[in-house]
Amino acid sequence: MKNLDSVLAAYLAGWAIFFLYYVSVARRMNALREEIERLKSSLNRGK
Amino acid sequence: MLKTILGAAILFVLIALTAYLAFHYAPVEKSMGIIQKIFYLHLPSALSSFVAFGICFYANLMYVFKRQPKWDWLGASAAEVGLAFISVVLVTGPIWAHPVWGIWWTWDARLTLTFVLWLLYISYLLLRSMLEEPDKRALFSALFGIFAFLDVPLVYFSIRWWRTQHPQPVILGGPGSGLDPRMRLSYLLVWAAFTGLLILLLNARYKLEAMRASVEELRREAEVQ
Amino acid sequence: MTLLSNASALLGKELRTEFRSRELLPTTVVFIFIVIALFSITFHPTTSESQRLGPGLLWVAFLFAASLMLQPCFLREQNNDTLSALRLSVKDPFAIFFAKLAANTFFLLLTELLMLPFFAGFFNVHILSVFPQLVLVFFLGSLGIAIPGTAFSAISAQARMRELMLPLLLLPLLTPVLIASTEATAALLEANPALPLGGLGILIAFDIVFLTALWLFGEYLLEE
Repeated sequence: MKNLDSVLAAYLAGWAIFFLYYVSVARRMNALREEIERLKSSLNRGK
Repeated sequence: MLKTILGAAILFVLIALTAYLAFHYAPVEKSMGIIQKIFYLHLPSALSSFVAFGICFYANLMYVFKRQPKWDWLGASAAEVGLAFISVVLVTGPIWAHPVWGIWWTWDARLTLTFVLWLLYISYLLLRSMLEEPDKRALFSALFGIFAFLDVPLVYFSIRWWRTQHPQPVILGGPGSGLDPRMRLSYLLVWAAFTGLLILLLNARYKLEAMRASVEELRREAEVQ
Repeated sequence: MTLLSNASALLGKELRTEFRSRELLPTTVVFIFIVIALFSITFHPTTSESQRLGPGLLWVAFLFAASLMLQPCFLREQNNDTLSALRLSVKDPFAIFFAKLAANTFFLLLTELLMLPFFAGFFNVHILSVFPQLVLVFFLGSLGIAIPGTAFSAISAQARMRELMLPLLLLPLLTPVLIASTEATAALLEANPALPLGGLGILIAFDIVFLTALWLFGEYLLEE
């Protein structure tokens, strides 16, 4: 089937964007979670 | 962690569902052939991005008048998620166009509008990263967001007028023309799935923004000590 | 009407500031001149190419120049915190914006008209027969640039990387102005010049929409 590789490329690219975006949100959340833990423990130490 | 995995699982289900609808259920289009299948990804993404930007506009207005942080969080989330959707539109479009029309890009009405929208919301996010103080960031990005959204109909009409001055072959004939009922149903269901995707991504991004706000509050507390 | 009298008083201040320091106009004029000359050198268009490319290049040069010219608008109010003084001096904060955007439109229009003869020379186009119509297009276009430009100048003054932020915010938004002004100018420079009402309509609509938006939201732009 002609153009099948274009269809495949489009779907791969499209879903890759969604997936990578979701991963980026998840990673940023983990980074923030770590920082919250860090800040909370340093605040507790300070008290 | 569990919620993240659950989210990713829902994402995979959505992918599988849309793939099934687009490739198995919907018939192959007569003139274009299989490459028309790209539209099942391209069009719902476009529609979802408009919904996201509409939500952003609403959140921007709400923030300016109510000044509650949750509206700022929603605005930022909707803008970023909308940008993800519109990036999919801008990537899948040329991949479709090249085999069909022999060109990757042209400045026809829809493409130009999509491109300008993309630029506007990139600017919105960049502005947010350049404003450090949370209150200022929320207010000024909301005001820019309002102006940006008001621009959209003007961009559309100016391009349409421009195209009457320099007529061009209509690139996207509009998939609504003579639609097989199975195609119509597929479009509808895929769009419903994409709305689910929109809600999923918005929810995750919103939580991220709320978390960022509590980090900033904790940082301020730590500084005071 | 207090709004108009406040605005005109502030407009007088804006104009006097510029005519005393003479910083903005000469530098902007020279900048546009250099950009137009560079375009002419780079493309050295034939006469027919000039008719096609010229108006677009002219308006792109205007947009670049405006992005630079609008920077000091609110930046210089940060020295000595004159912005607070301004806000206290008027009842309606829109007067401040009205005065600034009137001044900016005036400066932009002035530089554009000063550039017109050089543009005509570099690109071999005839401007005299359509001069009044060109002034109208330039006025509406400059207004279109100045209204969001003044608003975003207030925003970018508060941000980091402000010199780059202003063009970044402004230029995508000005797409309708660029399209309509370029087409209108091109239509006037053709062999059979015609005033494109569609283009003028878009410019007028743009000006009205954003003037209204600035009127509605201006006071928030001035918040500290």
